[in-house]
Amino acid sequence: MHRTGLFIDRAGFLQRRNPLTKGTGVVLLVGATFLLPAPLTGIALLIGTLLPLAFASAVGWRFLEVLLKTLLPVLISLVLVQGLFFPSPDPTTVAVGPLLFRRAGLEFALNTGSRLLIVVGAPLLLFQTTHPGVLVQALTQSGMPRSVGYILLVALQLIPAIIERAVGVAEAQRARGLETEGSMLQRIRGVVPLVSPLIVGALIEAEERAIAIESRAFNAPGPKTWIRDIPDPPVERISRMVLLGMLGTLVVWRVVAAVLG
Amino acid sequence: MHGQLTLESDVLYCFSVRLTTHPMARRENKQHLKQSEETMATSTTSRRGGLSSTALALIPIAIAINVALGQLVQSVLKLPIYLDSIGTVLVGILLGPLAGAITGLLANIIWGLTLAPAALPFAAVAAVIGLIAGYAGQYGAAQSWWKMALFGVLTGIVAAAISAPIATYVFGGVTGGGTDVLVAMFQSLGASVLGASFAQGAVSDPLDKTITYLVVWAIISALPKRLLARFSNIPQQ
Repeated sequence: MHRTGLFIDRAGFLQRRNPLTKGTGVVLLVGATFLLPAPLTGIALLIGTLLPLAFASAVGWRFLEVLLKTLLPVLISLVLVQGLFFPSPDPTTVAVGPLLFRRAGLEFALNTGSRLLIVVGAPLLLFQTTHPGVLVQALTQSGMPRSVGYILLVALQLIPAIIERAVGVAEAQRARGLETEGSMLQRIRGVVPLVSPLIVGALIEAEERAIAIESRAFNAPGPKTWIRDIPDPPVERISRMVLLGMLGTLVVWRVVAAVLG
Repeated sequence: MHGQLTLESDVLYCFSVRLTTHPMARRENKQHLKQSEETMATSTTSRRGGLSSTALALIPIAIAINVALGQLVQSVLKLPIYLDSIGTVLVGILLGPLAGAITGLLANIIWGLTLAPAALPFAAVAAVIGLIAGYAGQYGAAQSWWKMALFGVLTGIVAAAISAPIATYVFGGVTGGGTDVLVAMFQSLGASVLGASFAQGAVSDPLDKTITYLVVWAIISALPKRLLARFSNIPQQ
């Protein structure tokens, strides 16, 4: 079976934590990057919290690799677009080779880029250290509708199968003479023959699935039991309180600072 | 047992459509249909928390189609559009605003979970796209291609307006893709970062969403009536 998702099956510090605690941590980190002054916060939080946590959870190098792969194009674009074309009354420029960068633009790029490290990195680390099934179960047990959890898990399982089917449809239509090269109009015309077999198949499959859901009494009222037990000792609950308290303090501090000017 | 029951009601249903084609009779028929449809819905699928079993079954497939097509269109057809919301628009039109919004929201969460954590902040945009598609379906847009195109343009503009602030404050106006050239161009013409982000979206999104809506229209109008009758959001003729 194909592996979907970012999850890496290792044993480490974060893998033993309760998913809700990790989720609260993500919210705190992302919140902090917007509430505390950039660019220092983003870089400090990456080096001070995310990296040590990733290495303590035995996913350090994979974390860095995926983070870089995701963000590198954005960061390069950020420096080029905002460094060269940032709209600002400040005319100061920095010459790098033949290019004249605007100082205000580079500052903006640095601020945004450092924030992105956390906005993308924190959820990434959560997903790399939490099995999707465990995450969904923890969220469902704490009040998320069961149907939402079902949709998430089934979609995760279906993606490799549907991608496989899509590639099969593309090959079959090409064998029947569908143009996938040539002018733009020709290629746009190719969308419908590629998409419609997928969707008609999906609608028919949905019917069968709906009957299966019905026959297993998914929508039956009453409490359900779980095959897995997610440990949630008092330590976890207290750390969640502490993390939320820190976020609250940050928000209050920021509001007070704004009011006092 | 259930399968049989469904089939029978479908046969009855098709039959009743064909029986009355006189314009005077049609109005009566419409009301009658609406009733029979309601009873059908309660008899074949159970609801809990707003989503029927049909929705529960279709939404995950639609999400997987979003992801698969988003990749396929870029790798096989190499078009400069995303077409990553076909599943969302389809569910919206067939099953209504709530199902559409849920599909969009969860599709982006799945993107974030599997391939691109950078898709997470845009989940709200995807939800609104599904919501609009749901209203388009209720309005009966799926009956004619130009109504679909109109909703496509509208969705594109709304999507551009909502995603611009997210693109600006989270990503600094860029995405790392080919559309960043447009952002650079608008900024060099004197637009602010937010303005340039919106202008870029207003150029790319309506085109993308119009094609999405037209593709969905082409598929829906080619679907067998028997299959379409299962989805209650489309006004029946």
